[in-house]
Amino acid sequence: MSVLQADCKLESMPKQDSSSFSADDARWSRLMASAQSGDEGDYRQLLSELSDVVHRYLAVRLGGYDFVEDCVQEILIAVHQARHTYDARRAFRPWLFAIVRHKAIDAMRRGEARRRLQQVGNDTVERAVAGPDCELGSGQMIAGLPLGLREALTLTKLLGYSSAEAAQQLSISESALKVRVHRAMGKLKRMLEVESV
Amino acid sequence: MRTREQLLDSLASELTPVVRPPAPGLLCSTWLVASAAYVVLLTWLLGPIRPVALQQLLTVPRFSLEMLVGTVAACALAALAFRSAVPGSLSRGFAWGALGVLLLWLANFVLGIAIPTLEPSMLGKRDHCYLETFLYALPPLVGALYWQQRLYPMSPRRAAMLAGLAAGMLPALYMQIACMYEPVHILAFHVGPALLVAAVAPLMLLTWQKALAIGD
Repeated sequence: MSVLQADCKLESMPKQDSSSFSADDARWSRLMASAQSGDEGDYRQLLSELSDVVHRYLAVRLGGYDFVEDCVQEILIAVHQARHTYDARRAFRPWLFAIVRHKAIDAMRRGEARRRLQQVGNDTVERAVAGPDCELGSGQMIAGLPLGLREALTLTKLLGYSSAEAAQQLSISESALKVRVHRAMGKLKRMLEVESV
Repeated sequence: MRTREQLLDSLASELTPVVRPPAPGLLCSTWLVASAAYVVLLTWLLGPIRPVALQQLLTVPRFSLEMLVGTVAACALAALAFRSAVPGSLSRGFAWGALGVLLLWLANFVLGIAIPTLEPSMLGKRDHCYLETFLYALPPLVGALYWQQRLYPMSPRRAAMLAGLAAGMLPALYMQIACMYEPVHILAFHVGPALLVAAVAPLMLLTWQKALAIGD
């Protein structure tokens, strides 16, 4: 059975111990406050920790695509540009994950993954479509989308098919495909928003 | 493609101390007070105010409620505009609440076509109220856009549109008192230009960003 057709359920997100959750938050908040006053060492440490956390977060939800790495880098740049807006009296995670969600959805909309796969070559696309061992199954959030939406999103935004090709593949009209992609993006965005971070 | 380590090194080496801007709440309140004072003063200086407006405000409960809902909508939209420029400070619930109050305010005028709040009359009519509404909103809009850009709006066009809506709302609301009262007139000549300001705001932002890019 193709991974695209597998009706995977969204597994519950890995729970983290709440004390380590708030300890992380407090540490990041402190490091960011220190970075805001110009401490390079603390800033390097903060970015390093955040990059791992964000990579894990996106890989679990969206899959281990190469574009996740691009996303992480974009997010780090955004964190750098937005660092003056962080208020150390507030929790760090809502601030960080607002940027993460926005940048991740933005990257998907722009088809970053598609471009990346096209750069690697068609072989990658073929492997991704064909094999059950490929990375497609690893994105819990994408797997949690209804089958029709998931297929449309995966084919167009992640595997690089044009709308016409994807529509043909799914035996639906091109406009129906576009509606499904739009709905899938919206649903993904809501799922990311609703999820507590 | 640079590696993540290279990026981290580059970002850390570029680090400069930053000054945190005022909290969005404080910015919003300051902007609201300054903009409202400017709109009221300018409107008062450049034309007559409907003579019976204050009396109507005090004696017609539905009109008072209408003004109250409009004021709440203006404040909520302003908060929305400023909060949308700070990551993580805007909740979906607040955004829907603010838009809900705005719709409630607008719905009152639609209802007013059938059952007007006040007896429709030409009393207090200003000749160019539509132009006034549009033009008076522009300086507050520029102020809001300036502050938004100093923060970090993740969707700059949407944030600009909200700033336009908040800025347009102020003269539109005050025209309820300054200009003639007639629901269709209000929708077409007061609310219409306010919505136009919201539509123009992203274009203004784009022009501004282009001008800055050329300047650099």
